[in-house]
Amino acid sequence: MKAKATFYQKRIYPIVFMFVVTVLCILITSGLYLTTQDRAVANELSFTRRAILDAGGLEYTPTTDGIEKAYLQEVTVEDGYYTAQSPEGTRYILPMQGPGLWGTIFIMVGLKEDLTTFSGLAIVSQNETPGLGARIEEPWFTAQFQGKKSPFTLVNEGTAKAPNEIDAITGASRTSEYFRNLTNRASSDAKRIIRGE
Amino acid sequence: MAKSKLKKTFVEPLGKNNPVFVQILGICSTLAVTNKLQNTMVMVLGVMFTTALSSWTISLLRNLIPSRIRMMVETMVIATFVIIVDVVLKAFYPEMWKQLGPYVGLIITNCIIMGRIEAFALQNKPMLSLVDGLASGLGYAYVLLAIAFVRELLGTGTLWGYQILGSWWTNWSIMIMPPGGFFVLAILIWVIRETVMKEKKA
Repeated sequence: MKAKATFYQKRIYPIVFMFVVTVLCILITSGLYLTTQDRAVANELSFTRRAILDAGGLEYTPTTDGIEKAYLQEVTVEDGYYTAQSPEGTRYILPMQGPGLWGTIFIMVGLKEDLTTFSGLAIVSQNETPGLGARIEEPWFTAQFQGKKSPFTLVNEGTAKAPNEIDAITGASRTSEYFRNLTNRASSDAKRIIRGE
Repeated sequence: MAKSKLKKTFVEPLGKNNPVFVQILGICSTLAVTNKLQNTMVMVLGVMFTTALSSWTISLLRNLIPSRIRMMVETMVIATFVIIVDVVLKAFYPEMWKQLGPYVGLIITNCIIMGRIEAFALQNKPMLSLVDGLASGLGYAYVLLAIAFVRELLGTGTLWGYQILGSWWTNWSIMIMPPGGFFVLAILIWVIRETVMKEKKA
């Protein structure tokens, strides 16, 4: 190469080169994104439907088809909430969100006809500490809300007995408190949204 | 000659030039994603895919890239491969994608990838660079899997999600939190340097 680079080599070529590389990269990634977009949207939808079914305490086969079938059969979309017909009566399912220790926690709360007793609960998304607060996603934690009456009080992990007691998570007191606050709001929110009280 | 160089390129990152316990690269993800074997496996596959293919791509382009903007080009290529991993995971393994969260995107910042491109791919032929990238990825992979093995077993009493240790086992919660990663990694580096590496030197 010559000692002194030409204006083209020094100024124009790098810009043209970068431009070409960028266009190629964008074409590849956006092409792939567009071809998989349908699948990604379907996954997201299936995930939300599953959370609704879980919150309503409804039976379903845990496959994409099974979830779709059960959802279309049993769940009706209302203004700001969902209803579902289960063998034991109507279930009201309310999407809720509230602060956690690190970020917003999104959940689906399922309520029985009195709008106080929980039929179930599912976590949609959360950003709590892995291994501690993130354990709110574990099945035992969400399952314990079934049949419990709000407002809840927290007790030590593994000792909840009364219908308003919830096992807190050892090592995640703050997350447990935030979660209690969020679930305790469910009943009044539901009454306001569903019955306009 | 050519064969021995190929072999050397492949073996070095696995042992005496390992990216994690010798070069101490890619530590961020080593600490972050090693609390479960499954997550770790997906993460290392993503990293292997990205290091191998971005080394290969950059090596193909190495005579065309103006050296003043080479970092930009490298980052662009790496980012493209990482986005491919992210999009494919999101479409086909949504559960895994949700668990890994931001860490897939953070593969871009994994120093091993940029390091191998700068140190190797810019001076070597495409196939050799591909092997180097793949081997570096493998060297990274087995160390991470070893750490994940210890952390998952002690932290949750499970391996690959299956319960291994009985109810007598008290989970060491610290193992699945970031400090656990530091401890296990440090102990691993220490053990390897004191045993295997020391013998080689002597």
